[in-house]
Amino acid sequence: MSEYAKPLPYPTVESEPFWDGCKRHELLLPRCRACSGYWFPPGSTCPHCWSTEWDWTKASGRGRIHSFGVYHRVYHPGFEGEIPYVFAVIQLDEGPRLVSNVVDETPEKLDCDQPVEVVFEDVTEDVTLYKFRPAG
Amino acid sequence: MNNLRGKYAIVGVGHSKLGKVPEMGPIGMFAVAARNAIADAGLTKADVDGLITRGPDDVYCHHQRVGAALGLNVTYSTSTDNGGASQVLGVAMACMAIDAGLCTTAVVGFGRDTWSRTHRTETARKRVNIGIQNQGEFGPEFGWFGAPSNYAVSARRHMKLYGTTKEQLGHIAVAFREHASRNPNAFFQKPVTIEEYLNARMIVDPLCLYDCSVYIDGAAAVVVTSAERARDLRQPPAHVMGFGFGNRLSGWFEESNMLTTGAKEAGEGAYRMAGIGPEDVDTAQLYDCFTQMVLLQLEDYGFCEKGEGGPFAASGALRLGGRLPTNTSGGQLSEGHTEGMLQIVEGVRQVRHEHGADRQVKDAQVALVSGHGGNTACQSAMILAREAS
Repeated sequence: MSEYAKPLPYPTVESEPFWDGCKRHELLLPRCRACSGYWFPPGSTCPHCWSTEWDWTKASGRGRIHSFGVYHRVYHPGFEGEIPYVFAVIQLDEGPRLVSNVVDETPEKLDCDQPVEVVFEDVTEDVTLYKFRPAG
Repeated sequence: MNNLRGKYAIVGVGHSKLGKVPEMGPIGMFAVAARNAIADAGLTKADVDGLITRGPDDVYCHHQRVGAALGLNVTYSTSTDNGGASQVLGVAMACMAIDAGLCTTAVVGFGRDTWSRTHRTETARKRVNIGIQNQGEFGPEFGWFGAPSNYAVSARRHMKLYGTTKEQLGHIAVAFREHASRNPNAFFQKPVTIEEYLNARMIVDPLCLYDCSVYIDGAAAVVVTSAERARDLRQPPAHVMGFGFGNRLSGWFEESNMLTTGAKEAGEGAYRMAGIGPEDVDTAQLYDCFTQMVLLQLEDYGFCEKGEGGPFAASGALRLGGRLPTNTSGGQLSEGHTEGMLQIVEGVRQVRHEHGADRQVKDAQVALVSGHGGNTACQSAMILAREAS
């Protein structure tokens, strides 16, 4: 297997449990004990009610494409063979939006608000990325 | 706070050489722009006691570096951190500082060697492509680099909800390029047709080459002082009638922020202070990092309804002679990107009636100038007028 040439995430103290969840193929979201709200990216304070009491909660992994762009320009050599690739803002059913790729479909067939589901890619021994594909 | 409407004015404008300036750094270009602005006002170094700057993000305490290059000691100085919204913010901060008695005459400016940073050498080119994103996670691992994708997702969602078309976006690029053909300082002066626009290579679909602003080396600066003092100076003053801000810090991807931006609040604030509405604006100089950002601002500043930005642009409204001549210098899409500083300069020149007939908005009394930036969250707006009343 050739060396993985794309950037890898640099987890922070607040995001480490999220990336550990990805390794187990679980999409985790912080969920507030006080207001039941979810948020992303991970952070130690609920942005809705400012409570610091919250739990990591397994998300459904289902959502919709809020919007997307298709990269035709190479900004990083690791993506040279991937052009055109889809950069998407995914609206999770739980509420938060996150940035990811939509895979397993040609860009022309994608649309805003299209349902998607999470897939996990073990890109190195230590890192698993969350991506999305059209849901059946 | 008392109303600052019309109490302060921009009395001098200047810029460095623009375009490819490999022989100068950003601080050096800034010093030239400041010198030119002060000379334009008919003032001297001894008159300046305020300095508000912005430059490349990697320059620590930027205002100190600029001040050192100009040999200046001032009572009030700082560097701002609102990205491309900083420059209009800087003018507002100057007005407020003067009103508070902290200084009397302030230079506000921006300078960056963006062309050199990205083009001068092959190494520079590679470094900027990779290093453009300083985020460590939730982006680069998915190939999210550079600014275009933020506006690409905004454009696609706008197209989905309102039926906006690629061709409508193209009318923004084409109109500004036509204006640039009348500006000898513009980086690109050769007009572009809608057909050329539609056939251009994609950067991040739906945005193509002509949807993106132009990297240049350059600096620009303005001088702000009281309207009272302005009466004795060399140039007709551009009175600062109002300013406003809207910073949707929750994020571009949150809520509906990629469709209705902080420009809504910024515009409402600026109009309220100035006591006018969008119908009173004779020319707009909008922050045009991308065509899509112009389209959103046309709606958010109330020149048309939400969702109507596409048809409004396609109607020819933005062209010289149209309903709202916009970015009459060619803007950042054609003249070159200086984080909105040249938009302020052009707004001032329009209300001064400084241009020849080919570029002057006839009898321009009121200009709206905007800024936008940071991580797309920050918006700033300012109303300039020929008369203070």
